[in-house]
Amino acid sequence: MATKQMKGLNSFIMDLRNSRDVEQENKRINLEINNIQSKFKHHYASNEVSTNTNSNGKDDISLSGYQKKKYICKLIYIYLLGYSEATNFGVREPLNLVASTVYSEKQTGYLALSILFKRSPTSSLKEHLNDLMDVMNGSLLRDLQSNNEDFNCLALHFISSNFNIDNERIDTEGSSKIHIVDDQDDNARQWLELTDLVFSFATSPIVAKHTRKKAVLALHVLFKLYPGVIISNSNWVPRILSLLEENEDLGLLTSSIPLIEFITTSISAKYAKSTMSSIARYLHRLLIEDACPKEYYYYSVPAPWLLVKLLSLVESLFLLVDEKTGNTVLTLTDLDSTTIGNLRSVISRSIQNSSQPVKGLPKKNSNSSILFQAVSLVIFLNASNEAVKGAVNALIYLLDSHETNTRYLSLDALIKLIGRGSISDVGNVFFTNEFNILIPKLFHLLSRDKDVSIKRKTLDLLYTLCNGSNYINIINGILEFYPHCEYSLKGEVAIKVAVLSEKYATESTWYVTTMLNLISQGTSAAASTSTNSHGSSTQIGNEVWERIVQIIVNNEELQAQSCKKIISLCNKSSGSNAVSENIIKVGGFVLGEYGHLIVNEKSDGDDDYSAESQFQILFSGYFRSSLSTRAMLLTSFLKFFEKYQDEPFIPDIIDLFEISTQSIDLEIQTRGFEYLKLCTADNSKELLSVVTRQFPVFEKKVSPLMSRIGNVERIVGRNRSSSFVNPHTIQQQKSAKSPSVTPPPASGLTVPPLNAPFKGVGQHRSVSTLSLPVTEEIDEDESNDDELVESRNQKTFEGEEDPFHDGVKEKVILSPNWYHGYHRMLQYDAGIFYENQFVKILYRIIKANSNIQYKFTIINNAAKTAGTNLTGFTILDLESSASKTDPNYLIQLGNQPEQTIADKTTFDVNIKIRNIVENDESPIITLSFNSGGSFNQLKLKFPVCFLRTLTSTNQIELEDFKKRWLQIGEQLPGPQGECISRTLTNYRCNSSNVVRLLARLGFNVVYSTPDNTEAGILVMGAGILHSQKSNYGVLVTIRSTDDVGKEFEIIVRCTGGGISEVINSSLREVLEGKF
Amino acid sequence: MAVQFMFLLSRQGKIRLTKWYQTISQKEKARIMRELSTLILSRRAKMCNVLEYKDIKIVYRRYASLFFIMGIDQGDNELLALEIIHRFVEQMDKIYGNVCELDIIFGFDKAYHILDELLIDGYVQESSKKEVLKKVAQQDELENMDEFDNILA
Repeated sequence: MATKQMKGLNSFIMDLRNSRDVEQENKRINLEINNIQSKFKHHYASNEVSTNTNSNGKDDISLSGYQKKKYICKLIYIYLLGYSEATNFGVREPLNLVASTVYSEKQTGYLALSILFKRSPTSSLKEHLNDLMDVMNGSLLRDLQSNNEDFNCLALHFISSNFNIDNERIDTEGSSKIHIVDDQDDNARQWLELTDLVFSFATSPIVAKHTRKKAVLALHVLFKLYPGVIISNSNWVPRILSLLEENEDLGLLTSSIPLIEFITTSISAKYAKSTMSSIARYLHRLLIEDACPKEYYYYSVPAPWLLVKLLSLVESLFLLVDEKTGNTVLTLTDLDSTTIGNLRSVISRSIQNSSQPVKGLPKKNSNSSILFQAVSLVIFLNASNEAVKGAVNALIYLLDSHETNTRYLSLDALIKLIGRGSISDVGNVFFTNEFNILIPKLFHLLSRDKDVSIKRKTLDLLYTLCNGSNYINIINGILEFYPHCEYSLKGEVAIKVAVLSEKYATESTWYVTTMLNLISQGTSAAASTSTNSHGSSTQIGNEVWERIVQIIVNNEELQAQSCKKIISLCNKSSGSNAVSENIIKVGGFVLGEYGHLIVNEKSDGDDDYSAESQFQILFSGYFRSSLSTRAMLLTSFLKFFEKYQDEPFIPDIIDLFEISTQSIDLEIQTRGFEYLKLCTADNSKELLSVVTRQFPVFEKKVSPLMSRIGNVERIVGRNRSSSFVNPHTIQQQKSAKSPSVTPPPASGLTVPPLNAPFKGVGQHRSVSTLSLPVTEEIDEDESNDDELVESRNQKTFEGEEDPFHDGVKEKVILSPNWYHGYHRMLQYDAGIFYENQFVKILYRIIKANSNIQYKFTIINNAAKTAGTNLTGFTILDLESSASKTDPNYLIQLGNQPEQTIADKTTFDVNIKIRNIVENDESPIITLSFNSGGSFNQLKLKFPVCFLRTLTSTNQIELEDFKKRWLQIGEQLPGPQGECISRTLTNYRCNSSNVVRLLARLGFNVVYSTPDNTEAGILVMGAGILHSQKSNYGVLVTIRSTDDVGKEFEIIVRCTGGGISEVINSSLREVLEGKF
Repeated sequence: MAVQFMFLLSRQGKIRLTKWYQTISQKEKARIMRELSTLILSRRAKMCNVLEYKDIKIVYRRYASLFFIMGIDQGDNELLALEIIHRFVEQMDKIYGNVCELDIIFGFDKAYHILDELLIDGYVQESSKKEVLKKVAQQDELENMDEFDNILA
């Protein structure tokens, strides 16, 4: 290896390691940097003098490649030690090395550039990348065009590891929406040139697999930078997707997945379906058929990285949302049964694998990671309750694992599984058993586990599990744990409890008790003598007590009750257990505001509700509280002063105000001074009563808590557990949940449900006396979510630029010679659909009223000529041109063809005719395959037209025909019922030709003129057209208008309005052929 | 599975190797490394190897005196990221022959090469141990050839 020979570098590193202290190290580094600087300077000076000296020159001053390499390595080492500023040397030297033809020098050069070329703090990402492009463009092009494959690799590698941008992160830099590179940029050409080159590397079958791997990843990086390239070169897409079919090399496949994911999810959702089938097939092969090359087993698990990547790609495909319609792009019904079967068996196998005890950490980890990935798919596959149960049980089993990581991730997966489905709904009794096992287990984890991360996850899971029937159990369990929980976790616990209580509480007393219990367990007031006004609120955020206050203010029924509760709490916690400061805060507010409501009441217990006692509670708390609390209490005392003019504690209040005027805290001083004036000045009574007027109902729409929980949820949301949770399921969940939590009217509650604000369901709003319309808030929240989703999509779809969305109506370029097959299929029930040198496609049409089945058989033509198999045969797309909303027909792929075709394979397409199909709605099928190294794509149209649903009538007589003909004329006069057209055929027909044609199409020929008569041709037929909605009778008359049998008049009458025109034009096309 | 960054940290808190798969300023990098160093060095051995940091996840594992620390996307599979680290260590082990911290200090360029063969742009490029080893060996071969050329020159 190179560094072994670099003695200078080694001794430099040794020196540094032997340094006694930082100072010595600094000195040594500075020395070395000076040395390098002067060496480089001399080198250039000498180079300029004698331009002939090449870099390998033996000249003393001029540096050899080896020396340069050594110095650069030293710089890298210095950089690694953290002296990043010292290594700002510019790029001349490394560039010089890159230009070298010696591999190791070139390699060091690239390495140095990728490490030492730093982004200046002032430049934007775009500027930085453009700078880098300016510097590197020449070298990269040269090395990419080089014949040396190792040089190609170095350049590709440099591209992929230095031009990378993080899609998510661009947003935060404010430069979102704008791509780093777009067509208007000056250097767009440079990027394009680079991308072109890399693309050719990635897709060329003659380039070594190893290089292609790097190229594919580099291509991904470039597309992310400059999506314009792939959007304008949409013909690249099938080419890239065909990488999925190159399944002999797992390494190449592994590196292709990110690119394929990027294309299918961000550029064109069109291929989602075909990609899905390929992936499912592949997963099946790897996991079930065990068809994994030996060297890709990782501790006897088949290619875990590839498996997990494929699984997560499946997940993202299911999560794709169409930007325009807001529907998911891919639903289960779109997929064929083979694909679904494959996916299901893969999931059940992964669950099975992970449930077995295995030895060795790597194997265990790999199995579990596959499980976690697979479990997240369960919900999309419409799994039965049993299957979900299996997954839940497998995860619960893993909760007992000794491995901390496994426990952590099982929790995570459970959150995801439960959050996505409607598993935790009250109505869903199917999982009662599991929950009964799970919840105690979680409490156990919460109190016993040593790792705070696990506890946090457990908390999240409990939060997710909570529903209208188990909330008391869960909240009490968490509260029990609360006093013992880690300091860092307290705030989170408090917020979760607060939100859950508010969300599910149906009884006001329970709510107030729970919440006051919660905050009374916060830091005791005595413990925080800190002057920092926020000192004690770190554990429980201010939001929590503020929220309680808001709710009390807005609910009259709660006011007296909470006063009592606070007094009892404060009395209980006398002595060493000092009152929590949060309670003092709430108390200060609530007693000041509503204390008078209970002054004359008698307590059931020992508590004294008198004004004196209320005052003493707050007064004793005053000196133990932080400054902000004191300021609050001053206001409370002012209210006391106003309410109870004659009580003995009034002088105390005045004294306190007086003392406060001396306070060094500005807020307290101000309040003290103002309040003192209010109490003592003459004629201030009126002003005082204005100042202390009862608090108005809160109308602020945003609950402070929600913003906090929002954060929590977003934090939770960012991780796998719910980040990609399908918004639809959430909505379903919400609507499913809300009715169940509605308290029964018999509960005798005077307070309208406290949960109303969190439900976001309009019906509650009208009855709610809570004038805190958090309802709006949650709506906003939802819309935020939607926005999030949308922005995600926007990022992915780039609306206008995406050619595929509007593209449907554009002219699709079909493979040459497609029309022969199309025309054949218009009239014949079997035949050749398409043929070229590689394939022959046969078809057979099986009609059953409104259902039409097309059976395609693919025959490998190359087998005869070249003896090669067709590989990677895929149906990339099967696109109906019918309108998406209420389509006239439905199209579905029955089964998938085999991928590798030695001889032949078959697949079916099923059509359901729902309504009258227009003639321009025929579907287009896109096929791709490899034959002997060449990539081929076919785009073929096949006819789905109403005429094909025709079946013959019972034998009817000419008389009958005439009668019905007239009937239609009466009922649907004019163009509604009748359509007449003229046509010119390519060849001469006689009467029996026409008869055969009509019979072929399914008509019952009622009358025909004999052949070879001078009178011309007249043929009449009748038939029945089928759609799912209804059947129609159709009558047709074809009459020749010339002597040779080339010109015809077609008259169609039909019992359904407007159909005759459709049928007429189909007939015309059959007769003419648009060759 | 996109790895955001990876760095190697000694128990004494020294950075031994850094690799970034995202473009951020040097200051930002230094801050992340500093914050994570304190965070991770303070964690007990029995704790789980995953933590959430800002909007990414951190996965780390300790081998002898070195911590291998990796930042991954939220949607990524943590356990598998741990196994990437393991694979990396395995490969270094094979190439250095019983790898130790000193090997990485003195032969950092090689460590980079191994990592580069394993990961590109934060994505697993090649999961087969044999393939990576083969490629690294080929590079060594090339470098030796270069040396040889130099001697002859």
